[in-house]
Amino acid sequence: MMLVDGLRGALNQSALEPAGPQAATVAHLWWFAFIVASAVYLATMGALWWAARRARRREERGEVLDEALAEPRMTRGVTWATAATIVILLVFLVTDLSVGRTLSPVPSKRPLTIEVTGHQWWWEVAYADTSPHGRFTTANEIHVPTGRPVLFVLNSQDVIHSIWVPNLAGKKDLIPGYTQSWWFQADTAGLYRGQCAEFCGLQHAKMAFQVVAESPDRFARWVSLQQQPAMSSTDSTASRGREVFLTGPCAMCHSIEGTSAGSHAGPDLTHLASRRTIAAGTLPNTRGALAGWIVDPQRIKPGANMPPNQLEPKDLDALLTYLQSLK
Amino acid sequence: MRTTPTAPRPAVRRLAFGIGTIALLATLAACNREQRRFRESPPSTSPSAVRVSALQPGTVQDTAHAPGPYDDVAYHVSEGQRLFGWYNCAGCHANGGGGMGPPLMDEKWIYGSAPEQIFNTIVQGRPNGMPSFAGKIPTPQVWELVAYVRSLSAQNSTGARSARSDHMMMYPGSGSLQDATTPVKSFHPPAAEMP
Amino acid sequence: MARCRPVVSRRSVRAVTSVARIRVVVTVAAGVLAGACTREGKPEPPRREAASALPPSAAPRASAVLDAEDGQWTMPMKSYNGIRYSQLAQITAANVKDLRPAWTFSMSVLRGHEEPPIVANNTMYVLTPFPNILYALDLDGNKKWQYEPNPQAEAQGVACCDVVNRGPSFADGKIVFNTLDNHVVAVDAASGKEVWKTKVGDINIGETMTMAPLVVNGKVLVGNSGGEMGVRGWLKALDLASGRVLWTAYSTGPDSDVKIGARFKAFYPKDRGKDLGVNTWQGEQWKIGGGNVWGWVTYDPAANLVYYGTANPGPWNPDQRPGDNKWTSTLFARDPNTGEAVWAYQLSPHDLHDYDGVNESVLIDVPWKGQTRKALIRADRNGYVYLIDRTTGEVLSAEPFVYITTSRRVNVSNGSLEYVPGKKPQIGEVVREICPASPGGKDWQPSSFSPRTGLLYIPHQNLCEDEEGVEANYIAGTPYVGMNVRMYAGPGGHRGELTAWDPVAARPAWTINEKFPVWSGTVVTAGDVVFYGTMDGWFKAVDARTGAPLWQYRTGSGIIGQPVTYRGPDGKQYVAVVSGVGGWAGAIVAGGLDPRDSTAALGFAAAMKDLPDATQKGGTLYVFSLP
Repeated sequence: MMLVDGLRGALNQSALEPAGPQAATVAHLWWFAFIVASAVYLATMGALWWAARRARRREERGEVLDEALAEPRMTRGVTWATAATIVILLVFLVTDLSVGRTLSPVPSKRPLTIEVTGHQWWWEVAYADTSPHGRFTTANEIHVPTGRPVLFVLNSQDVIHSIWVPNLAGKKDLIPGYTQSWWFQADTAGLYRGQCAEFCGLQHAKMAFQVVAESPDRFARWVSLQQQPAMSSTDSTASRGREVFLTGPCAMCHSIEGTSAGSHAGPDLTHLASRRTIAAGTLPNTRGALAGWIVDPQRIKPGANMPPNQLEPKDLDALLTYLQSLK
Repeated sequence: MRTTPTAPRPAVRRLAFGIGTIALLATLAACNREQRRFRESPPSTSPSAVRVSALQPGTVQDTAHAPGPYDDVAYHVSEGQRLFGWYNCAGCHANGGGGMGPPLMDEKWIYGSAPEQIFNTIVQGRPNGMPSFAGKIPTPQVWELVAYVRSLSAQNSTGARSARSDHMMMYPGSGSLQDATTPVKSFHPPAAEMP
Repeated sequence: MARCRPVVSRRSVRAVTSVARIRVVVTVAAGVLAGACTREGKPEPPRREAASALPPSAAPRASAVLDAEDGQWTMPMKSYNGIRYSQLAQITAANVKDLRPAWTFSMSVLRGHEEPPIVANNTMYVLTPFPNILYALDLDGNKKWQYEPNPQAEAQGVACCDVVNRGPSFADGKIVFNTLDNHVVAVDAASGKEVWKTKVGDINIGETMTMAPLVVNGKVLVGNSGGEMGVRGWLKALDLASGRVLWTAYSTGPDSDVKIGARFKAFYPKDRGKDLGVNTWQGEQWKIGGGNVWGWVTYDPAANLVYYGTANPGPWNPDQRPGDNKWTSTLFARDPNTGEAVWAYQLSPHDLHDYDGVNESVLIDVPWKGQTRKALIRADRNGYVYLIDRTTGEVLSAEPFVYITTSRRVNVSNGSLEYVPGKKPQIGEVVREICPASPGGKDWQPSSFSPRTGLLYIPHQNLCEDEEGVEANYIAGTPYVGMNVRMYAGPGGHRGELTAWDPVAARPAWTINEKFPVWSGTVVTAGDVVFYGTMDGWFKAVDARTGAPLWQYRTGSGIIGQPVTYRGPDGKQYVAVVSGVGGWAGAIVAGGLDPRDSTAALGFAAAMKDLPDATQKGGTLYVFSLP
């Protein structure tokens, strides 16, 4: 299951399958560079092959190289090669600059603003709203509406991270104490995997996230769900799980809106059950994976800041029921 | 060595061997300092085993205290520093100087400075305001906090302590926890601090 | 570097440059912190000198309603209007130099003594900090009885800034006071027997109580502390006879909780709207948003309104609470019978620097543009003296009384405080030269007003600070601050000032500089003497008209209490004050803090690192009289 999921994720992590104008431009640049470089490579190899063949033929025929003729030929060859190199590099430079110019200005259309903060090793995602009351926080899953530019305000809580969603845009660093901005637009709905692209410590490789690009209607529905505080379940097991959460170690690091848990050391869990993955894109959000993560996170992500938790089996069961009720 | 045409003289070889051994030992020592033990569960102390008072009726029993499991491991000391902020220890004890709670960087200890004593103070709480964190902080993390708290008053080995803080806290000259044992009488005015 | 710039705010400059007649003796710290400036060869800031000592007799002068003088001091403020003015005139500027101790009394508690002794029916009642022991003494200093409420010791761990108490109140034969562990207690004033004891808060969510209750119309008004612990603020009214809670007005949350209803009419549009106590917060942050009520409540019997301010929003770190965070750092006018809010004015919206709005609102009448306005005057933490129409909430004037870098001005046309953008604290960045520092231009220490001089005597501090935001985690019952702070002396190098403020001209009449913050209250008498104490233990008397020092006496410990004056059974006028250093400013001594960590005591220890050399812990009541 994990393997299949991993593969599917991998399928949606490619700079060559652009899903928006940003990534498309990057892909065009990549293809352009690839074709030109290939052509140059082929031409060079061809010329080399031709030169080698001719030299051998001459040798076979016993011809002697005329020194007087060779000198100007050599000069001509070098001049042509240098000129071609300069021209090609200039073309690359101009294309690169023009792509940069196309991508850098923040779109004039009123964009959606999302604040992303890098943590070792997960992503905090906050959605700004016109009223402070509508602002909400989630983690490791970025929902965006299709066809609308999304402006990101990037920051880091600890070390330098870098955000990269190859299908949607190039990477950008998240630097502690320095705010950066980044934007993209997703034109094709879909699920895109993102990844930290700057080595940031032990679990850098397992610091992933997903971008869910969906129609504006679906996105609006998702937003209104996320703005709600956590549901209070009437189920007795879930209520017991809530008690385990609030009285035990969980509430020391995590917050659940609508309860007294308000710590920001770990990801916000208000709508945990609505997310696709846990542990920053490492595991599918299933009951089993959740149990494994709570009990022995250091086996899954050694060095992660989630400590091992020793819980009575029935407390763990109640806790899992509660966490899975946080839709 | 084998490829070199002339073998080195014995004295040089002995010297090289000596240097090599010292380097190896130093590396091994550093290993302990750098050892990151993610999945172990150090034991929690049992309250009856730890004395808070040095005074005993009758013949005095051995009062030696075992070292904390993470006292000399730089990684775990720095993890303790992170948790000290996360769990709001810093809210009361500031960055060691105290506030609502007593300072932790001086030589005065109301409930003892030994690792087990600090462990119990965190877990059990103390009646004059220290909350009890029993069932709130997992045991390995309590030991990391113990290691960091002891580093504030320079009670563990120098190598394990954080060299400097990334945050605004100390005055220059006392700018690191290394100097925590040196009582500072006169202070540089804050204006003299490096930005 | 720029810290040493001799910049004084616009108004102050005018005050300094206006015709100086009498130079006040300036008690400057002997270059302890000022050394930082002088050593770098920077010019010292201009020495503040006395401007015209008083408005000319013909000039309009502020006044206040006076009750008949009974020679008693039955509540910490003496009178409902909070002016702390006594009509006793036996001790005058001429004879105060002969003042000497009549008797003393040991309080047996060595924490910060912010409380005043109160005097009723020829008995003095004095309340200690935690464990909140109430002593009744006859006026020769003999103990009549003592009452011990035995508060929970754990409450000390959630009291942000020392375990102080700001005093008891006498009403209807009872002494009413709050305990640190959130009990309101009424004790029979004659016998010392407990009449009722009501629990109104919970230390497990970080709640404590330190304020002095105000008794109005048979109701005991009390509020909670805990702005540094993520505690939601409230003001409650308890029935004086039974101790039953009659109403609760929260400082955050929906209008029904804040008691904003049909009678509510804010003067400025920014304070109008539905459920602003919810909509100006992210999600449910208002439930842990602070806005505590731990300062002073004043009462206007004619309008039947109480006036009080709410404290800072939590956490300090402003990035974690987007929005205006209503109704924190807000001034409220309420009907004490029902608790309904009549008007509100948010002094520091989306507060950035812990500028609580709890300071006293002194009720005075001010000649203003040709007519007399019923006003209130308050020296706020944010550095401005606000003169506000107390019937409508309109700001008449708001002028700086300390050096301010955090805001440009208060725009009186729309009521907004105009912040300086570069002074907002950031996570992971040290923002320097934030003035005034978090304790504000003035903290809780109450000012006094003399109708004879028309001046407000403001005890305050002169501090700046550096701030670095860190992520705050809300864990109930633990601090919720998210800020590393380091304070130091403001321009001039002295850390405290006593400013005599002219409400009509909106400028200081004279200023006295003190080495340490003036963390004690002031009292002014009809003998034109102002009394106050310093943190190095001096109890001082100065001329109310000129600020000239008249007398001083060295007590056993630093003074942060509230002086009072009363007439004894022998007909003599007495002055009393409790000496015992502590509070936020004195935590370095009271709590034995280590100043090598400059963030100790939320940064205050850094500015007070020479205090342990200047004073010791103490707890003694001093009573003075003429021979």
